[in-house]
Amino acid sequence: MKYLALALAAVAVGTPVLAEYPERAIEVTIPAPAGGGTDTSARKLGTLLEEELGTSIAVLNVAGGGGSVGVTQFMMQKPNGYSLLATWNSPITTVPQVQQTAYQPDSFTPIASTSETAYTLCVKPDFPAETGEEFLAELAANPGKYTYGNDGIGGTMQLAAERIFQSEGIEAVAIPFGGAGETLQNFLGGHVDIYGGSISPVLPYTESGEAKCLIVTSAAAVPALPQAAGLESLGMGDKETLLWRMVLAPAGTDQAIVDRLAEALEKTVNDPSYVEFLATKGEVPNVVVGDALAERLQNEYDALAIVAENLGLNQ
Amino acid sequence: MELISQIFGGVFAFGPIAAMISASILGVFIGALPGLNPVMAIALLLPLTYSMEPLVALGMVAGIYNGSMYGGAIPAILLRIPGTPAAIATTFDGFPMAQRGEASRALKIACWSSAIGGTASAIALMTIGPVLARATLYFGPAEYFWVAMFGMASIGVMVGKDAVKSLMAAAFGLLLGTVGLDQLSGTPRFTFGEVWLLSGLDLIVILVGLYALPPVIALAEDRDLKGLSASALKLESVKVPWGEVRSMIPTWLRSSLIGIGVGILPGAGGNIAAFLSYNAAKSTSDDPESFGKGNPLGVAAAECGNNADNAASMIPALTLGIPGNVIAALVLGALMIHGLQPGPQLFHQNPGLVGGFMVQMLLTSLLILAVGGAAATRIFAQVQRLPGVMLVPMILVLMAVGVYVINGRVIDLWVMFAAGIAGYVLEKLDVPLAPIVLGLILGPMAEQSVRRALLISRGDPTELFTRPLSAVIALATIGLIVWPMLRAWKRRRA
Repeated sequence: MKYLALALAAVAVGTPVLAEYPERAIEVTIPAPAGGGTDTSARKLGTLLEEELGTSIAVLNVAGGGGSVGVTQFMMQKPNGYSLLATWNSPITTVPQVQQTAYQPDSFTPIASTSETAYTLCVKPDFPAETGEEFLAELAANPGKYTYGNDGIGGTMQLAAERIFQSEGIEAVAIPFGGAGETLQNFLGGHVDIYGGSISPVLPYTESGEAKCLIVTSAAAVPALPQAAGLESLGMGDKETLLWRMVLAPAGTDQAIVDRLAEALEKTVNDPSYVEFLATKGEVPNVVVGDALAERLQNEYDALAIVAENLGLNQ
Repeated sequence: MELISQIFGGVFAFGPIAAMISASILGVFIGALPGLNPVMAIALLLPLTYSMEPLVALGMVAGIYNGSMYGGAIPAILLRIPGTPAAIATTFDGFPMAQRGEASRALKIACWSSAIGGTASAIALMTIGPVLARATLYFGPAEYFWVAMFGMASIGVMVGKDAVKSLMAAAFGLLLGTVGLDQLSGTPRFTFGEVWLLSGLDLIVILVGLYALPPVIALAEDRDLKGLSASALKLESVKVPWGEVRSMIPTWLRSSLIGIGVGILPGAGGNIAAFLSYNAAKSTSDDPESFGKGNPLGVAAAECGNNADNAASMIPALTLGIPGNVIAALVLGALMIHGLQPGPQLFHQNPGLVGGFMVQMLLTSLLILAVGGAAATRIFAQVQRLPGVMLVPMILVLMAVGVYVINGRVIDLWVMFAAGIAGYVLEKLDVPLAPIVLGLILGPMAEQSVRRALLISRGDPTELFTRPLSAVIALATIGLIVWPMLRAWKRRRA
């Protein structure tokens, strides 16, 4: 009888837990190594989120497999709101195309997207093209002549580029590197002809004149890269592929927790200090929550599936 | 002049000084505990400093980085357990010295060599960094392939009595290095459908098992059940005579240059620097046979080499915006969070901050002498007084905690355990372990580089030899293999 009373007391204490969420530390899995773009974005956001939620946030970096190792490990977490995944889009929408993964875009409870940026293609100043249009024409006229560095075989960067190339009938040789830093090193050293990767690492070199970026993979042009054409202006607005970041929870997470987190994320992502931080990396905030986020994931997944299939990469 | 006062005014303030001293002490401990590693410590602590003064955060990074690179030598010398991957070469001569009762002397040499290597590296970072960074751009995939081959050629120096066993060990390491998702084709290799294997075998997990478990099992076999040894270790400072110091100067010079050279190449690391420095010390010695049996020059070369890698590894990060290792990436991340854009303009954007960090790399190298030499070494040298019955469970727990924290998964503990059993059996069979590690580190680097080079040359292998720089490194590699043979042949004739 005593135990029953205790149990009832426990339930009584336990019920308002949701209202008091979070009451202990939250663990955030990042499926990328420490120090990279996703990692710094998530950690900076984490410090703001700690204040907003009034709890501490522990970060666990689980790198490997283009993100699939960390995401798969995350799937074993309980949907109690204390385990979250901070990832970029590639592990969710691209990796399942080229690897056997235990998850699909709908295997998670989407909470909110946080920020986004475009990929860019850049060449040396002596490359015979000055605009996006000339760049594509030069590539199309010389099939198999040019090499472009990218973030890894079947990665979002490669698919973003191939999405453009395929629609123009362009054949360029993909050289996969370990990340944008490595690609940049090989591009500056003249070992590959074209830099393919995120904007932030190459930005200083466009300012110094050592690189000219002629295309961004977003529909609109990017103010930081005035010479680069957006895909809309090339008549390929529907071929947009972005690098974007989001926070996900395990499937079956309580709606009240999801709402609380989405609200907190919306507030912190738009915090002036975070927006300013994003700007130094060439990123802009873009918060999409709930069903709209689920739809965004599914649409991107479906579009990239076609590109991967054309490349013969799909599983 | 104004710049110098700005830099020193920033560094010599209470916060940055306190951060450097406490982080150096912490770094020595992190390096000394097998399993715990500087990457983890910096990744954990750096976010806590985001709201602080940037030089406090960077001083902490510098302290942990330099401190841990020396700290790794402490268990390497006392217990034959490298505290960090870069301390493997330190075990070769450090542990035999300790067995001879020269633990304090070995630790002192390690401490001085670390400080000298770190200082030389920091000076390189401050003076010729930008020029060196430009030079690294000439290293394309073909050159990286030869750098990896050059490193592998140093396996020759680790060959024990039985060359075939060493080569088999190296081949085993190469095989382990192929596990995981192939970066160039996206195909999983030897993963048996296990997702955690896609990222390959974690170097630290394998290393902790392979290198820490066999000495622990050996300790357990001694069944030392008595209490704390009453015969206190002699801890008064050992005098290293000037003559011996002078004899180390060429080794320090050579190892510093090697460490700096390896450090500026993105992707190569302190472990390769230590191996190459050790190899160079042995192959230029008049008495190569004494290496591996407790030659102080071996300890000096390895420790000087791995610390000389540190500041130099920041050169491509600070001058080009290209991080060469995870710690450099974390530093760039921290700078970005404080509103700086990594790249060639970094120094001009905020010379006080970037220059201050360079000075901090220098100061924390010198701090090794104080915190490493005086404080930490004395504490850790007490380890030798602990009986096996206490030491064995303590080390096992530390190893397990360290390995678990890396990826937060239990399977890593089993991998560590399996690697440890393998290491124990291989040692009983007189198979050296160092070639396994070298194969595991350099194999993937060599394979990926050569395949990238062939992709770029459209399958033409002559480009591996005809590019001027790759030809030079290829010749150096051949020289590295042939040189000891020539010397042995000459000696036999004499």
